[in-house]
Formats: sequence, structure tokens, C-alpha cells
Amino acid sequence: MAPQTTLSTSEIGEKARRDLLLLLEGVRGKKNLVLEKALAGPLNLLVKVSTLQEYGVDKLFFLENDNIDSSQRNVVFLVRGEKARTVMAVADQIKRLRRSSQIDHEFSIFWSPRRTMVSDQILEEAGVLGEVSVSELALYFVPLADDLLSLELEDAFSDLYLSKDPTSIYLSAKALMLMQQKHGLFPRIIGKGDNAKRLADLLIRMRTEVTAGESSSTNGPSFLGLTPSSSMDTLIVIDREVDYPTVLLSQLTYEGLIDEFFGIQSNQTEVDSSIVGAASQQQPGQNSGSAATQSQTLKRKIAIDAKDTLYSTLGDSNFAIVGNLLNKVARRLQTSYESRQIANKTTAELRDFVAKLPGYQAEQASLKLHTSLAEEIIKRTRTDTFLRTLEVQQNVMSGADPSTQHDTINELIDRGVPLPTVLRLLCLESCTSAGMRAKDLENFKRAILHAYGHQHLITLASLEKMGLLTARSGGLGGAAAKPGSVTNYAPLRRNLRVWDDEVNEAEPNDISYAFSGYAPLSVRLVQSIVQKQQLASLVKPAGQQAAAAAQGWRLFEDAAKNIRGATFNETQSGEEKAVKARQMLNGSGHADSGKTVVVFFLGGICRAEVAAMRFVARKLAESGGKKLLICTTGIVKGDGVVGAAIETGRFGRGI
Amino acid sequence: MSKATANWEKVGDKFYRKVRLYKEVFDLDLELENYKVVGAPYSGAVAIYRDEDKIHSYRGTQGAKSSIDIYSCAGNLIRRINWDKGSIKGLGWSEDEKLLIVTEDGTVRCYYDLQGDFTPFTLGHGAEEHGVLECRFWSSGFVALLGNNHLIAVNRYDEPRPKLLAIPPTEPVVSWSIIPPAYSLSRSVEVILAIGKTLYVVDATDAEDRDFTAGPFQHISVSPRGEFLAFYTEDGKVWVVSGDWTEKLSEYNSKAKTVPKDMQWCGSNAVALAWEDEVHLIGPRSVATKFYYDAWIHLLPDMDGIRLLTNDVCEYLQKVPDVTEEVFRLGSESPAAYLLEAAEQLEKKSPKADDLIQLIRPNLAEAVDTCVKAAGHEFNIHWQKQLLKAASFGKSVLDLYSSDDFVDMCETLRVLNAARFYEIGLPLSYDQYKRLTPEKLIERLINRHEYLLALRISDYLHLPTDKIYVHWASQKVRVSIEDEESICRLIVQKLHGKAGVSFEEIARAAYDEGRARLATELLNYEPRAGKQVPLLLGMKEDTIALDKAIESGDTDLIYHVLLHLRKKLPLASFFRTINSRPVATALVESSARYQDRELLKDLYYQDDRRLDGANLLVAEALDQTNTPARIDKLKLASKLLQDSRENVFAAKAIDDTAKLLRMQDTFEKDLGPGFVGLSINETIFTLVKAGHTKRAAKIQSEFKVPEHTFWWVRLRALVAARHWNELESLGQQRKSPIGWEPFFNEILGAGNTRVASGFIPKCTGLSVPERIEMWVKCGLVVKAGEEALKAKDRPALEELKAKATGTAIAEIERLIGMLPPARK
Repeated sequence: MAPQTTLSTSEIGEKARRDLLLLLEGVRGKKNLVLEKALAGPLNLLVKVSTLQEYGVDKLFFLENDNIDSSQRNVVFLVRGEKARTVMAVADQIKRLRRSSQIDHEFSIFWSPRRTMVSDQILEEAGVLGEVSVSELALYFVPLADDLLSLELEDAFSDLYLSKDPTSIYLSAKALMLMQQKHGLFPRIIGKGDNAKRLADLLIRMRTEVTAGESSSTNGPSFLGLTPSSSMDTLIVIDREVDYPTVLLSQLTYEGLIDEFFGIQSNQTEVDSSIVGAASQQQPGQNSGSAATQSQTLKRKIAIDAKDTLYSTLGDSNFAIVGNLLNKVARRLQTSYESRQIANKTTAELRDFVAKLPGYQAEQASLKLHTSLAEEIIKRTRTDTFLRTLEVQQNVMSGADPSTQHDTINELIDRGVPLPTVLRLLCLESCTSAGMRAKDLENFKRAILHAYGHQHLITLASLEKMGLLTARSGGLGGAAAKPGSVTNYAPLRRNLRVWDDEVNEAEPNDISYAFSGYAPLSVRLVQSIVQKQQLASLVKPAGQQAAAAAQGWRLFEDAAKNIRGATFNETQSGEEKAVKARQMLNGSGHADSGKTVVVFFLGGICRAEVAAMRFVARKLAESGGKKLLICTTGIVKGDGVVGAAIETGRFGRGI
Repeated sequence: MSKATANWEKVGDKFYRKVRLYKEVFDLDLELENYKVVGAPYSGAVAIYRDEDKIHSYRGTQGAKSSIDIYSCAGNLIRRINWDKGSIKGLGWSEDEKLLIVTEDGTVRCYYDLQGDFTPFTLGHGAEEHGVLECRFWSSGFVALLGNNHLIAVNRYDEPRPKLLAIPPTEPVVSWSIIPPAYSLSRSVEVILAIGKTLYVVDATDAEDRDFTAGPFQHISVSPRGEFLAFYTEDGKVWVVSGDWTEKLSEYNSKAKTVPKDMQWCGSNAVALAWEDEVHLIGPRSVATKFYYDAWIHLLPDMDGIRLLTNDVCEYLQKVPDVTEEVFRLGSESPAAYLLEAAEQLEKKSPKADDLIQLIRPNLAEAVDTCVKAAGHEFNIHWQKQLLKAASFGKSVLDLYSSDDFVDMCETLRVLNAARFYEIGLPLSYDQYKRLTPEKLIERLINRHEYLLALRISDYLHLPTDKIYVHWASQKVRVSIEDEESICRLIVQKLHGKAGVSFEEIARAAYDEGRARLATELLNYEPRAGKQVPLLLGMKEDTIALDKAIESGDTDLIYHVLLHLRKKLPLASFFRTINSRPVATALVESSARYQDRELLKDLYYQDDRRLDGANLLVAEALDQTNTPARIDKLKLASKLLQDSRENVFAAKAIDDTAKLLRMQDTFEKDLGPGFVGLSINETIFTLVKAGHTKRAAKIQSEFKVPEHTFWWVRLRALVAARHWNELESLGQQRKSPIGWEPFFNEILGAGNTRVASGFIPKCTGLSVPERIEMWVKCGLVVKAGEEALKAKDRPALEELKAKATGTAIAEIERLIGMLPPARK
């Protein structure tokens, strides 16, 4: 299903894996590995616990738990060095262990993805730098699927939009730069959003810096690498800020709903075993000794694996048809299983059948799992709150006057539904209508403080800072909002057909299927660059298809103007000589086909959005054109987006 | 021309050759026998210093000054390092030609550029008290032996971390050696100590006795790749043991009465023993040959041979490479030998040339390859030419032959011959060159300030030249006496348009030299913003550094500068600096939030960001553990917002919080714990659930909780507490602000169909089918039927009939009967 890319994502994963194992090998003998929790997911994607054990890892600890014991002389930290807080935690634990343990420990720290000056400074001040051996693990992109690379930066969203900390932009630029160094320059960088612009600027700056410096010191084929790539096409950067609503909405694909209800962490979800039954076999030694708590024994870890044939058909489908799909598979399995009964089989047929048996069994197990999962999801989607929430979302997105929805939202607050649900609805309204009316906003704020506690004063302030929940400016006497500072949805519904009334969930004909009506703005933007004709014909059926193969934004410039954030379009051409050399090597007339368009979602992407992107990718592939590779700083979902703002402290013990 | 085999020597069935590299190496007055001599790997520089244990003739004050002299192999003095820092106990080289000097007190100086600049570090681990006795070096580290037999290993020089190895017995060490980490079985350095009659192998974790009895061993030597070990016993025998200790490979009796002064491996296949002016070369199977000199001889082992150094000559002793032997060995019948012969005949215009070619026709390609390779191993330019000519001749006869190897070899030889030239004095063998890599060769040339040759070679081999330029410019900045303006102009002019030139490095050199203005000027040419930051900080150009860091986008750099500024500047000016730079402010904010709240408070105060300040206080209130402390914090927060008009809402909310907390405190006193920390709605919920209706009402009026909210909360609380009576009495009221449907749903959800059904008639806003549905949900089909009858809905009744059971069927039928007959 997922499109093939010449930039192989598995290659990236394989390299990261090798680097890690090499580093582990460098520490002689058995060792205890201390992980930052945020790195557990990516690590899990790269190596199995058993492999780690082969490389001498005895026990795994989480840095946050602060419970490293002195069972091994070697202690290895694998942590991110960007935040002073983490570095201090490492320093504290080294000091603690040194004080409390009888053994003379050997400490190693692998900073990921890079060793920072700040970390050195802090370790030095703590007086431990002299005793640790420090290395770097350049872990940037982790492949989540064949067409999906993620930096897995959990904090990227809150850093970027709440603290305005551009670290993740820098790391993204680094990661993309590595890609460019390997495959050549993106011939064109197009994007939308202020942070996206910053990323593009950084990329261009880094390019001049690389040509200015490091290329010569690192011996590699980098001089040729900095000409426009022959395997990569445009880089499209979409800033999450441009399109908050998409992540605030309830995702309606199967995978999206799993994420909404159970949460998916680096392709792994944890579901109560009462729903899916206990795991058939416990993975031995999983987080032995440290992370295992009682509550986990009741949970079962399920890998969300795009390579599972059944799941690959289910994952990106709208949930409405998942039941049917499961049904079909069940029936197929049934018949093929029954065909066994036919007594007069030749031995050859029997051999064939037996050979397929393990496949059947795996499929059967997978079917059982997903049926029970789907049942649970159905149960939850039938609840009153879910339906009410969905109703509000659909109404808001289709362009109904949001104030008509206020009663429903008020009722939801009165009923005490979880805070994130309410906040998502309020933010959705605020984002789609350029802020809320000051009076309404005040009422809702009061209602939230009353219902969920006054600590959420901080939550509300944070949401405002992120631009998620704001008062409409220009109400009383103030000038209308600056163009480009807010997104105006009314014209977009027309220009980009962000709302699709004729949605078809069973046989999708447009990306709107992923949200049962709403076509994610972010994906529409991508379409307006890579699928101009199709989109144009979709927006204005019949006639006016004079859309030439204009590059960049043209054709949708007007639409782009209605969306907040900077719009940019940069071309990158290499040195003339090198370009010519490259052309000579490749022969001149090669077509676009086979080239990969890289779409980078700065600030995160949600799973239903990925599904929509894949839909676009399929269409692109059908029209014999380019391939799509989705890159992001991390997978996000609505609860996480508003969760970044939610204050977790309480006055008092609570109940 | 002398024969190519003139300097060959047969040892057993193998040939060894002694190539004379340079003549008249040292001043004849230099008493080399009184000096310790160490050579850098890959035919690098030679460092000598006077052995303190030996007496020497007095040469006036000049001669008495002790120094370490660095020479090239050809005897050119590269640098003299004056030495007055104490007794030298270890002198050695690293692979990249760093000179390491270890003094008795455990101080190590790492001279990284042959020019006297060094970085020091200390060994620690008791080196100071016990003193360093000796050191053994490998390509990237060394091991020091202390007076108390402790061993300290240093694995790298860029970030040296001296590590104490396992502790061996304390008896005196007779001799010792190391196996470099790259070649040991454990992949970390191993030390072999000869103590008493036996040998100990020591690594990081344990010291193991190998149970030998043939000791004491006077010398231990490990072959370059660690595959063999050689021991010299007290009775003059040389043992060779395989690197994994499993096999004794040979034993040779030197029959010498005196213990040789040195024993080293010559490549991996022979052992050289050196007495004062005599060298024994022992090949496999205990065969040996002897060389005699007329001066004191020093052995400088390398990866594929040994350099022999006397006052007069520098010679290179190695096993004759196989290809060379194939071509030159007397009576060789290899195709390559014939090809060489044929080429010689051709020069003489003899027809024999063709005969010979025809003879080896089938193997001609192989012969060409061999000749090319043999040319590489040849030091003599004449023979290089002959061999290449032969190869070229053979090549021309072949129809299809890829000349890449030939071309590469020609290039390599040109480079090698240039490096071997006596003024440069780097007599690299072909294998050494391949292992060293051209890049490192360039580095060595730069360190010798041979910029022109380095540039020529780089251009010739298409290697980057930026480092050469940078080094040249840095040197220029250091030594030039011209005025700054013209230096800058000169450098910029020369380096303009050269890719990859780091002006930052040059600027740093200028700054270190005290030429700050020049440094600033040069720094302007540096395109990489990030690179400039550390230097700018060093130059105290703080704000420029901050701007450059922000420009680079690297948050690590920005943090770095900010930390620096925070330490250096008074708070007010620190804030002033970051104030106009939003990114810097954001980073200070986000890091201070977890580490330094006071700083954040000051920042907000300074910037007059009242709401942020108040929120910070609210966050602090959350961290307090008792109500009065919380209220204090809240009061502070409220005060902050007092006189600003736009924050009325927040101020009111904060006051409400304090009020709520106070009320909750009273509740806890009166009713028991479980109130503090609840929200207003939760408080009402808890109160209603516990039956304290009055207090709940008080909260409602106090905080102006809207009716609909209050009703909902009360409903949920009553249902949760299963106070059905209260619910029913609520149902007596005429109107509910939330309608009655929620009552029905909630109560039904709690499982009480009886009470739930009581609310159905009150849901007048709903349609008939909806109400029918509600009745059915309560299990009251008959009631549903009545509802349908009222609406005269025959189909609905029919449907209900299907659902009904028992007596209800009859009832429904009765109801259907009551309908007016359907009009047909």
C-alpha cells in the first residue's frame, strides 16, 4: 500500500540501529542501560530487547524513575542532550550512584542526536564530566512506516508553539540536511507557516555553511551531493500552526481512533487485556526490573505494524467500513480453512496448504485481535459524548454558525466530560473563526474554571499563547486582524473545498474520507502543490482547466493568502558546473516519475492526516508521477495538542 | 646502476632488504649512544633527548641545556623543545604524529603540531606519589608503569581519561610490553609484564599469571598486529609465541653473553635484536642473519619494517615484498621477470623482446600487474622507472587492459618520491602510505610548514586544500610583522573564493596572538555564524555572539551564550540584552520555568508582563502544601493584577480561587477531608452526594454558578449517590433548565427503570417515536403502546406488538383495536 521510495526509510532505520549497536559494543562487558522515556519508543522501533541483551545490556532503567542500581559496573545513559533539565537529571544520578555504590562505576553517556555544549557545561559544573566517556548517537529520523519518517520529538509541539523554543526546527533542519547530503539538494522548497519559513531559511543557511566548511573535512562524496537531487523532488514544509483544526478534530480512521482511545506510542499501543485478551506470550525480559509495574500486567502491548497484511488494509480506512472489511476477511479465512475438509486432495495441494498454515494462523490471530479492538471502539463511538462531540465538530467545520453549538458544549462541560475533549471543541471554534467573541470566551473560561478547577487559569493562558484559544480581535474599534495572521475559513471552503458534502467513506474519492467530510487543510495545501489539476477540477468542476504545469503556489495563491503564516517558494540550484556534470551522468531527458516529494510536517502530524496523505500518494502514483515521503517531528493527536497546555498540578490532594 | 638485489639478504628462505634512505643524518659530534631515540609511526619524525642515566662530556653551558630535539628522518632539525620540566620517563608518538612526553610526576604533555604547542594533562591514580617508571605507546594511546607497579592506560588524547588497570603483583618488573586495543582479544589494551620467572597479562579487569618458568624475560616485544609475541630469556634465547598464547612457534639461541639493548619486530615476520653496533635479524624457523655497523645503532620499529638509525645513515629494513621478489629474484621465471627483461631488450632494440613477450603471452596481464605493484615497493627511482616502463610495454601489447592501476601507481610514486626527498624526509614505504592515507600525509606536511608541497600534492590528488590555506594564514598571522591592515588584505586576497576556508580559525590564531582587531576583521569573512560564537565570547563581544548564535538557529549555541551572559552580567543588563531578542527571551523563559523561578519572576516584572507573573504565582501556589500558604501566593498574584484593566477576569478568578479554598477548608473542618483541591462543580457534586444541599446552594450563589450547570451537577451527584427520592421530588418541579431528558438518561444509565420512567411524560419537547423508544427502554411496552395510541400511530403499534411478550401482546392488540379503523 505504502508507496515505495528511492530514499529508503528502512535504510535510515538500519543505519541508526548499526550506530547504536556499535556504541554499545564500545562499552566493554555487561552494562545497565538508562533511557530517557522519550527515547524508549524510538529505541523499541530500532532494536529488540533481545538484541540489546546480546550486546551486553543487563537491565533497562528509565532516567525519570531515578532508580538505577549498582548491579553493573558499566552504566550507559542514552538521553537527549538538548534540555538542561535532562542533563541535570543525568548528572544527579551519576552523583547519587557514585555516592551510594561501593563499586567504582564506569559511566558512558550517548547523547542523541548530538552532544551539546550546554550538556558539557552542566556536567562540568556538576563535577562529573571528567569521569564519563561521552559519545554521540546521531539519531534523527526513525522510520514509522515505509513512507513515514518521524523525529519522535515528543515535546516538539509544546516547545514550538508554547515556549516558542526553536530547538525542534534546528533538529529538523539537521535531519533534512543529512538527507540532502545523501541524496542531493531539494530542487525546490515550498512551504507555509512562519516556523516553516524559519526551517527553510535554516536549510538554505546550512547549505552555504556546508559548502563553506565541513564538506572538505568529512571525507565523503559530499561535493557532488550538494547539487540538486535526481531522486528527490520538492520539499514541502507545512507548519502545524497553519492548520490546527485538523489535529483538533476527532480522527475517524481506524488507526486514528486507536490513537484517540488507547494512544499509540512509536507504533505501539497499550490496550487493556480485558478487551483483547492476554498476550499469547509475554516478551521475556521486557523492561525487566525497572519499568514493570503492576498496572502494566493488565495492559497488553500491541504493535501497530503496517506490515501486518490485515492491518495494512484496515489502518487507513474510515472506521465506518472497518466492520465490513473485518467481516470479509473473516469469511475468506473461513472458506479457505474449510477447503481443508475436502478429503480428496493431492499431496501437492496438501503441501501447499500446510505451507500456508502459519500464515493463516497469524492472520487469524490478527483478525481476532482487530475484531475485539474494533468492537471496543464501536462501543466508545456510540457513547453520547462522542456523538455530541462529533456533531459539534462536523457542524463547525461545515460552516455552521459556531454560536449555535455553544449549548451543546456547555452541556458537555456540565456533564463533566474530560477536559481535553471540551478544550478541543473550544479551540476548534476559535481556530476556524479567527477567535471567539470576547464575551463567549469569557463565559466558557469561567465554566471551565468552575468545572475543572482554577489551576486551569494557567491552561487557558497557555492556550492563548499557542494561539489555540483567543478572543476575536478587531471587535470593538480595533482594526481588523492583519492579513496572514489568522486563517479565514469561509473562502477556503470554496477555494480549496475544505468541506466535502459528498464524502464517500467506503470507496474514497477524496481525502475528506479520513474525517468523514472535512478535508484536512494541510493536505489540501500539499495537493495544491503536487496535484494542481486534480484539485482544480475538484474545486471548480467542469471547465477552466487551463492550469498549466505552473510550479509552486500559483493557481492557489489566493487560497494561500487566506491562511495564516508566511508563504515561501525557494529554488535551490547547485553550482553550474556540478549541475551540468550531474546531467551528463544521468542523461538529460529523464522524467519526473520516480522522484520523491518530501512533505515535512513541522510540529507534528496526526494519524488520520497521514491516511489522507497516503490517499494523495496513491493518486499520484496512479497518475504515474512522483512518490511521497512524509516526514514529521512527531505524531500528535488532539488530546496531546491541548494537553501541552493543560496544567496538571492541583490545589490540594484531590480525591 | 647497481642491481636491484644488491641490498638483499637471505634469511632462511625469505629475503630481507636494507634500503639506505639517507646519508649523513646527524652531526658526527652528536653522541647518539647517549640519547634516547623514538620515531613516529609511518616514517614520521624522530625525537631524541639525552639519556639522563648516561654520563656525557661537558660542552659548555650551551650543551648542558637539556632539550628534546625533533628531527626528520633525513636529519633536518624540525624543532627544538627546551626542557626544564623534570625527568622524562616516557617519550612517544601517536599515529598522527603527536609527541607525548611523560614526566616522573605523572604530567603528560601532548605536543600536537611538531611546533612546540602542547596540551597537558595528568595521570592521577597515584602517579604523583609513586612516580612514573616507564611508558609504552601505541598508535592512539599509552600505558604508564608506576613505581608501585600500577598501570595507567590512556586511550585517546583528545579527551584523555587515564584509567587504572587491574593491579599486578608488586615484585620488580623485569621488562614489559603492551598489546594495542585494536589487536588484543578483549579489544582493550593488554599489558604483558615479566615479573620474576613468569609473565602476567593485565587488562582493565584482571591480572592473570601465565605460569611461565623460563624467565626472567629480559625483553618482550609484540608484533605490529599483535599476532606474535617475542621474549628474550636470560640465557640468550628468543622465543616466539602466537598472539593467543597457544603455541610456541620458534626458539632461537643468540649465543650472546650480553643482553641486547633492544628487541623489536621487523614487520610481522622477523625479530631484530640490537646490540651497540650489531643487529641480528631472526626470521621464522629460527634462522638468522647479522648486520654490523661502525656506530651506535637505534631501532625504530614501524608497521612493516624497522628503521635503523646511526649517526651516519638512516636505513630501512624490511622483508622484500612478494611482488618485488617475483620480479627480481635471481633466476626468477615469473612472467613479470620476463616482462622486465623484455623491456630492457626493447631498449636495446633487440628482437629478443618480442620472443620474451610471446613466451609469457598468456600471463601478460598478470605480469603487468606485478610490475606495477613492484614499482610501488621500490625506493630506487631508477628501478621504479624500469618497472613502469616494463608495465607500459606489456600493456601496449595487450588488447584490453584497464590502465587505472598503472595511472594510480604513477601518481602515488610521484607523491612518495616527493615526500622521500631529503629536504622533506618522510621516507614512507608504499604500504605505509596506503595505511596512512594521503590526507594524513598532507597533515604531516602542514605540520612541517611545507605548504607549497602540501598544496601541490592536494591539487594533484584532488584533495581539499582549505586546511592548508587556513594553517598557512594562521601561521602568517602569528609570525608576520607587517601591519594588521596589510596582513588582512593579503590573507583575504589569497583565500578569496577558496571553498571551505575557516576564517574563524585564522581569527582565533590572531586573537591568541593578541591581535584582537585583526581577529574581528577576519571573523567578518566567516560564513558560518555558529563557528564564530565561541571566539566572539572569548573576545568578550557578548551581544554580537548572541546575535550570531541566534542567526545560526542552533539552540544549543544560544543557550551556551545565555549561560555565559547570565553568569557574567548583572541581572538588569542581562534582561536588557535578551529583551530585544524574542528567541533568547523564549529560551530563558522555558529553561527558567524548571530551574530558576525567581529569575522568571524578575523577568516578568522587568517586562511588566503581569499576567504571566500572576500565572507563575498561581503555579507556585499549586506547589504549596497547605491552604494558608497557597492563599498567600494567590494574594500576591491577585495584587499583581490589581490595577490593570485588561486582566479583570484573571484577577477575579484568582480571588475566587482563594475564596473557594477557604470555603473548602471550612468544609473539611466540619465534614471531614476530601474537599481541598476540588473544582467548584466537584465541590457541589461532593456536597450534594453527601446530602449537604444547603452548603451546595451556598456555593452556587457565592460563585454564581449558572442554573443549568447546577442542575446537571446535582443530577449527576444524586444519581451517583442513588438518592432516588430526591430525584423524584425534583421531578415534582414544573420546569428544569436542562429539560427532563437528561434525568431520564442518567437514571436509566444507573439502572433504575422505575424512577426513569417517571420522567418520560415530562419530556414534552420530544417527538412521539422518541418517547415510545424511551418507554421501551424502560421495558414498559404497554405504556409505549398508549403513547402510540395517543398519536394514532398504527405502524408503531404493529412494531411494538412484535416486541411484546406475554400479557403485553394482548394489551397491545387491545390498543390496536381502539384505533379508528384504517382508511382503506
